[in-house]
Amino acid sequence: MGPLIPNGVIPGEWSYIIALIIGLAFGYILEASGFSSSRKLAGVFYGYDFVVLKVFFTAAIVSVIGLLYMDYLGYVDISHLYVHPTYLWGAIIGGVIMGVGFVSGGFCPGTSLCAVAIGKIDAMVFVGGILIGIFIFSELYQYFEPLYDGYFYGNITLMDSFDISPYWFVFIFTIIAIISFVVVDIIRKKRKTIFYN
Amino acid sequence: MINRSLAKVLSFRYKILALIFVVLAGGLVLLPKYEKHEGISPEKLLSNAISPERYISTDELAHKIINQDPSYLLIDVRDEVSFDEYTLPYAINIPLEKLFDEDSEAYLNQDEFDVILFSNDNFQANQAWLLCNRLEYKNLRVLDGGMNTWFNTIINPSTPKENMPAESFELYTFRKAASMYFGVAYPEQVKVKKVKKIIPKKVIAVKKKKKLPTEGGC
Repeated sequence: MGPLIPNGVIPGEWSYIIALIIGLAFGYILEASGFSSSRKLAGVFYGYDFVVLKVFFTAAIVSVIGLLYMDYLGYVDISHLYVHPTYLWGAIIGGVIMGVGFVSGGFCPGTSLCAVAIGKIDAMVFVGGILIGIFIFSELYQYFEPLYDGYFYGNITLMDSFDISPYWFVFIFTIIAIISFVVVDIIRKKRKTIFYN
Repeated sequence: MINRSLAKVLSFRYKILALIFVVLAGGLVLLPKYEKHEGISPEKLLSNAISPERYISTDELAHKIINQDPSYLLIDVRDEVSFDEYTLPYAINIPLEKLFDEDSEAYLNQDEFDVILFSNDNFQANQAWLLCNRLEYKNLRVLDGGMNTWFNTIINPSTPKENMPAESFELYTFRKAASMYFGVAYPEQVKVKKVKKIIPKKVIAVKKKKKLPTEGGC
């Protein structure tokens, strides 16, 4: 049956409208759960608030378990899902740059736009920085191109590269997640409580 | 007022959620595994299999070969022995059991050529077609009747009877011409050197009637 759009259950023209609705819902929930606060987001790096790690880890596990069950029951064909292509060194270097930006600015791109929407000035400065970064990257694209297009590994997943059953992988991943939740809770309790909004 | 026992349960909520995660993820590991269906859905495969669209007649094929149509690829799915004995011109041999070898895939799974599968009859070619169709290989055709029909129609066409329509005579002419292209010789086509028979002159001795001496009449 699924995925709905590639299998023609929902016409492809609806994809933009559905994306808009999902985007609105995503932004609303980000804001509602406090992700528009750079202090809360940066807390994961300073050890006083691990909500970012918990939320994204939980979201990943919920969706992967849900998808695997739906695939097992035949509601979704997991092989038809889009897997983001891997450009190894581009991803590593990009990830490092993004991490530095995350620590220093206190936002990731999505949450920064979310914070702009509720009028936070630091987020506006951050988005300005993103735009400058995009401009620089575009202007110097010819120098970045070998990195951007190189080290291509195809649309691979962790399950492919470790060559283990996806079910075992998800089980191990879940255990790791729960252990990490417990560990970060211990770290947080050791820290002095910091009040922020 | 908050129910006390509920509050007590709720204080464990993260542990309960973590437990649910572990149970669900463990459930995935413990689920009985089954072979997943590969390729196109059975309904689609069945409707493809019923449809006669895949067949190409021997006449069409002969036409393509004679006109040197570059858009098709002939694949003989019989075994190597039969292939070596006789096959269609420009055919490639991929025996049925080697259908999914790495080398064969390049010929079958592409969309530049029309692949025409053939065997002695429809049977093996249809098997190959069915297997490939299930994997969504494109542009696959089957030679209707295979080599047997090829032989009966193109190589050795039957002469139409006198009371048959004109089309069958036209078809016969085409087939006959095609068979000549594929190397069949016809007796009337063979040029026989006319040797002039030297007929020895018969000498017929004509006896001259001797003039009888005039005899005295009355």
